[in-house]
Amino acid sequence: MKKKKRAKTPVNWKKELRLAPGYLILLLWVALTVVLLGWVLMASFSTTKDIFNGNVNKFVFPTGLHFENYAKAWSSQNVSRFFANSLFYSVISCAALVLICAPAAYVLARFTFLGNKLIQTGFVSAMGVPVIMIILPLFVLISKMGILNNEMANRFTMIVLYVGINVPYTTIFLLTFFQNISRAFEEAAAIDGCPPMKTFWVIMLPMAQPGIITVTIFNFINVWNEYFLSLILANSDRLKPVAVGLYGMINSMKYTGDWAGMFAAVIIVFLPTFLLYIFLSEKIIAGVTGGGVKG
Amino acid sequence: MKKNKTMIICFLAPAVILFLLVFLYPIVRTILMSFFKIDGVTDSMDKWTFLGLGNYIELANTSLFKTSMLNLLKIWLFGGIIVMSLGLLFAVIITSGIRFKSFFRAVIYLPNVVSAVALAVMWLQAVYSPQFGLLKTFFNALGLKNLAKIQWLDSDHKFWALLIAYCFGMIGYHMLIFTSGIERIGTEYYEAATIDGASKPKQFVYITFPLLKGVLRTNLTMWSISSVGFFVWSQLFSNVTADNSTITPMVYMYIQMFGAGNTVTERNAGLAAAIGVLLCICVVIIFTILNRLLRDDDIEF
Repeated sequence: MKKKKRAKTPVNWKKELRLAPGYLILLLWVALTVVLLGWVLMASFSTTKDIFNGNVNKFVFPTGLHFENYAKAWSSQNVSRFFANSLFYSVISCAALVLICAPAAYVLARFTFLGNKLIQTGFVSAMGVPVIMIILPLFVLISKMGILNNEMANRFTMIVLYVGINVPYTTIFLLTFFQNISRAFEEAAAIDGCPPMKTFWVIMLPMAQPGIITVTIFNFINVWNEYFLSLILANSDRLKPVAVGLYGMINSMKYTGDWAGMFAAVIIVFLPTFLLYIFLSEKIIAGVTGGGVKG
Repeated sequence: MKKNKTMIICFLAPAVILFLLVFLYPIVRTILMSFFKIDGVTDSMDKWTFLGLGNYIELANTSLFKTSMLNLLKIWLFGGIIVMSLGLLFAVIITSGIRFKSFFRAVIYLPNVVSAVALAVMWLQAVYSPQFGLLKTFFNALGLKNLAKIQWLDSDHKFWALLIAYCFGMIGYHMLIFTSGIERIGTEYYEAATIDGASKPKQFVYITFPLLKGVLRTNLTMWSISSVGFFVWSQLFSNVTADNSTITPMVYMYIQMFGAGNTVTERNAGLAAAIGVLLCICVVIIFTILNRLLRDDDIEF
């Protein structure tokens, strides 16, 4: 909305000139980002030989664009499996997080009861706890239960942990959201004889949709990029998500020497969150600032 | 009221149970573990030997661990200075009424949504690579042969190469927090200052900065929390498992516990737990100091 308004105002050259240093700094930064991403993108369409010859740095592709790098990385380097794993983990974790945290956030935002403040304080503090503080006992618990030997159980446990780790953040985010919804809706529903639980699922949850969408985007990005937990818990290549899989691929690249293929893999890993960002950047940015200032 | 009670319990139970399972129980157990010598991580409690503060004393006497803490301190301090100053600078520019505001904001925040592994590979290969890196090409093109010859990833330069790459990815988030803080400051302050003839830099020093205290505190807290968990970048920038120039406490702990490290003299899960507790204490201390230093004092806006 704002953008449209500004586009209509005529260019005030005096003002723009005063802002020139600002434009310059930002443009330099944007250029840096573009060059960085652009280089990897070009390298991914190039060949290992061209990369080492410095042809990528000169923007030339003597042998044309090599789309087969992507095909190769996708099929032979296990990228497709890592990709599918990450998608599976992220989607299920995000859905579970909404189902678990939205009701909790609603209750914490609306009802006064013993322990309400305590739970909120606990959740807020948990957001500052480093993973290193919780990983050992969890690892013990998981390996004692023999979970690491069973693929399905291993997958399930990883999702439980992804969900658990993100519960405090998701709940606190949605809590502030529910606090801002007027109580009038519940009062009206109560007068019409709608029981409180039904009121939540039928009226309040749909009303919280914008908040739920934003927090789900964040959770998706978090789980998609999660590294440390997966590194420790994904017991085989069949279970690895993209971040850990990519790390393994980089290490093996030292022996296979297929650099172009590796850059193609980097782009494949990078693409989903990037696309998400292109379409939803306004929402993501609003989410960061809305949640961050409250903290 | 009775109905509400069942509703409260039903709605809260899953979240609270997960919280207890994933946070409270492990935290308590980690604190306990840090006081014991534990040979195998899965050993049951009756096999633990009580050491008191022994693990902490041992850590204090381990030079590799001390190096890792020093690295972390350097990352926190120097990285913090870079990220906070650039983040604030970008935030000020972005809120100064420039065009394409949302475009710039979106590009600067972009690295935050990308996997750190992918980002680190980009920096390692595209920028720092001694064979085809952009830095080398750039300096060669300028004719600065000496600069072009620098091995950015040797042990002298690696730490700073790592820090710069890491900061590049972190600035966006902190910039956004600053931006939202600046946007909450009413325009009337600036209008009044402009009428009184205060220049833009003066307005920044006397209006923007004092009113940003609370936001700065949020930013520093978030920065501290993310620095403590510094791991991925370190792992990607070092080929050997224990690299003096990039090791951080979390990497050290990982080597201790899970890695086939080249430096592990003894396996002791208690030691790893003690590292976790130490890092948590660091976060708490920083948090307390920040709350004292940057109190939201009487300024109301």
